Amino acid sequence: MVAPEYYLLLAAAVFCIGLFGVLTRRNALYFLMSVELMLNAANINFVAFSSYYGDLTGQVFALFVIALAAAEVAIGIGIILVLYRNFGVTDVTVPREMRW
Amino acid sequence: MVDAFAYVPAIVVLPFVSFLVALAFGKYLPKGGAFGGIAATAGSFLLSLWVLATVAGGGQHTETLYTWVSTDGIAAGIGPQEIELTFGVLIDPLSALMLVIVTLIATLVHVFSLGYMNDEGERDLPRYYAGLGLFTASMLGFVVADNLLMAFMFFELVGLCSYLLIGFHFREPGPPSAAKKAFLVTRFGDYFFLIGVVAVFATFGTASFVGSESFPVLAEHALNGEFDAWTPFGLDVGTWFTAVGLLVLGGAIGKSAQFPLHTWLPDAMEGPTPVSALIHAATMVAAGVYLVARMYGFYVLTPTTMAIIAFVGGFTALFAATMGLVKEELKQVLAYSTISQYGYMMLALGAGGYVAAVFHLMTHAFFKALLFLGAGAVIIAMHHEENMWEMGGLKEKLPVTYWTFVAGSLALAGIFPFAGFWSKDEILYEALVHGLNEPLLLGAWAMGLLAVPVTAFYTFRMVFLTFHGEPRTDTARDPHPIRWNVKGPLTVLGVLAVVSGAVNMVPVQKVLGLEGIDFLHLWLDGHYGGFSELTSHHYADLGPYSSGYIAGGEIPTVLIGAGVSLALALGGLGLAWKLYNVPEPAEHTAALGGIKTVLYNNYYQDELQVRIAQVTAGVASVADTFDQGVIDGVVNGVSSVSLVSGDRIRRVQTGVVTHYAALLTLGVTGLILVLGVLGGWFL
Repeated sequence: MVAPEYYLLLAAAVFCIGLFGVLTRRNALYFLMSVELMLNAANINFVAFSSYYGDLTGQVFALFVIALAAAEVAIGIGIILVLYRNFGVTDVTVPREMRW
Repeated sequence: MVDAFAYVPAIVVLPFVSFLVALAFGKYLPKGGAFGGIAATAGSFLLSLWVLATVAGGGQHTETLYTWVSTDGIAAGIGPQEIELTFGVLIDPLSALMLVIVTLIATLVHVFSLGYMNDEGERDLPRYYAGLGLFTASMLGFVVADNLLMAFMFFELVGLCSYLLIGFHFREPGPPSAAKKAFLVTRFGDYFFLIGVVAVFATFGTASFVGSESFPVLAEHALNGEFDAWTPFGLDVGTWFTAVGLLVLGGAIGKSAQFPLHTWLPDAMEGPTPVSALIHAATMVAAGVYLVARMYGFYVLTPTTMAIIAFVGGFTALFAATMGLVKEELKQVLAYSTISQYGYMMLALGAGGYVAAVFHLMTHAFFKALLFLGAGAVIIAMHHEENMWEMGGLKEKLPVTYWTFVAGSLALAGIFPFAGFWSKDEILYEALVHGLNEPLLLGAWAMGLLAVPVTAFYTFRMVFLTFHGEPRTDTARDPHPIRWNVKGPLTVLGVLAVVSGAVNMVPVQKVLGLEGIDFLHLWLDGHYGGFSELTSHHYADLGPYSSGYIAGGEIPTVLIGAGVSLALALGGLGLAWKLYNVPEPAEHTAALGGIKTVLYNNYYQDELQVRIAQVTAGVASVADTFDQGVIDGVVNGVSSVSLVSGDRIRRVQTGVVTHYAALLTLGVTGLILVLGVLGGWFL
């Protein structure tokens, strides 16, 4: 059995890659992918601890997160579509009107 | 049996409801809400009659309806006793009589307004009827008030309503200015009144008018040494009571337009004429005299205050009457006669003639309302022309107005047997018999007596110029017709102006020895119902005056007094007849020369008050600088600090999603670090 530390390190690495993507990328599609990575980092943790404690709750949670991620992508792509129709780009730094 | 006293609050509330209805729904109602007002005041009138009948049947009533504040005076630092601020009603013969007068006049004024305002196509009628309703309600609240603080509040409401109604035609330049003047001048008096109210609370711990714990009774005990009243600076009790009495009197002088605060009243003629009738006869101006009568038990204890009231009253009676001599506008003459007549009432109160003052208050309410409504009818007929020199010869065209107006004028001039004769004669009689031992009072009496022929002269100058002679303009040749809603109130008041003197024919009673026909004396003396500490003989017992008689007895004094005042009145009337009852009257007042100019300019009182106001302009400007600089500066400073900091901080918002994500990440990282340090991870 693999020790949980390795799983946690893997999850942290995946999460940080996702976070890096969100903070540095301008294209909204990269955003969606990065968010997906962050969500799956959380999934890795859920499954790892589920296996470590022998409790299935974590795995159930992981399933929920997958469903949630699918819904999020659907909405996210909708938003990107609207963004593209209005601004002609998928660059998130272009629309700045939603401020004071 | 249903108790009439349970409905006393309804008398006040009904006109208030009509105010609310006219304000909210007036523009959807026929006649701009007039019928609501008529129904409400007529309802109040009927309830007041019921209350009057109950008092006549031996009833009296006082009740605290609501306790507003109850506090320990020592803790609050305003005196030695526990202090309760309450609202309540007090029904005794005086307030019951006044309720009937006020509601009757208010009802008639509402009816008359149908003719004066609705038929003349005035705009903003809901505002007008709302004002009338609130005015009536405030005055009624003042009349039934059972303590000085409640009286003060309604007194102020009356002042507010007069402001609203005098300034009714606010689109023209004159009325708003007159309204402001009325408000400011009466406020000046009310300022002293307010201090007086606080002083009464501090001294006695109560401001109630009635009961063994009321402030007049406590003041009586304090002077006997049976009650330990609080006084400031270690003053003598009597001196302090005089000061308190004079402070409260300030309010009465402002509202009742006594010298030197009379200047607002002639300007108040800018208001609609029915409003003038209401102000002068029943509500605002009557409030001052009523206030003094209400707390008369307190005033009679201090001879100095009494002498001042009498002297101010006598002086005002003569002073205002002389100004009425030269006026050219119908309503101006009536305005000065009002000031003069209220001067008589003050004279009566100061001279110990409590019943005489209330009697004159009643008869004056009837004949002055009549004269103002008659003037209103003339103004309708003359297409809103008020200058008497543009009138003349209206006698044949307006018979109802003419005859009722003459009845009112005879009453005002004090001609036997009209109402004004009885009341004015009684005032002069009281002042004379009490004044024989008091030189100051005798001076006040002399001025009151001198005012009698002057009054008769200007009254009949007005009648002859308006109604007699040849018509001097085309409008006077072909006047506008008037309707039932004008004639009706005039007739009612005309009858009252003739007969209402009969309730108190004291000279007849004294000369013929008929007991029991001086109904008003018996009424105010608690023979029918009332509180023992609010009766006229109780006041007479407390009062500082003793009676003296001339020509060897009471009956000759009565006869000589009545004869002299009647002869003087007839003399004034006769002179007016000779000078002005001719087809083409001339401006005889021009013969007075420089005196006319002085009189016409009201003794330059307005100019003097403006000068005094300018002297205080320096103080006002400092206060203004303080207000603008410090008070407003603090408020503006707070707001500009918020504005500037908000302007800076909002720049954090860039609108770029990535920045928000970065801030979120930084925030979470920072939070984790803080929690980690506090939780001891790194140690």
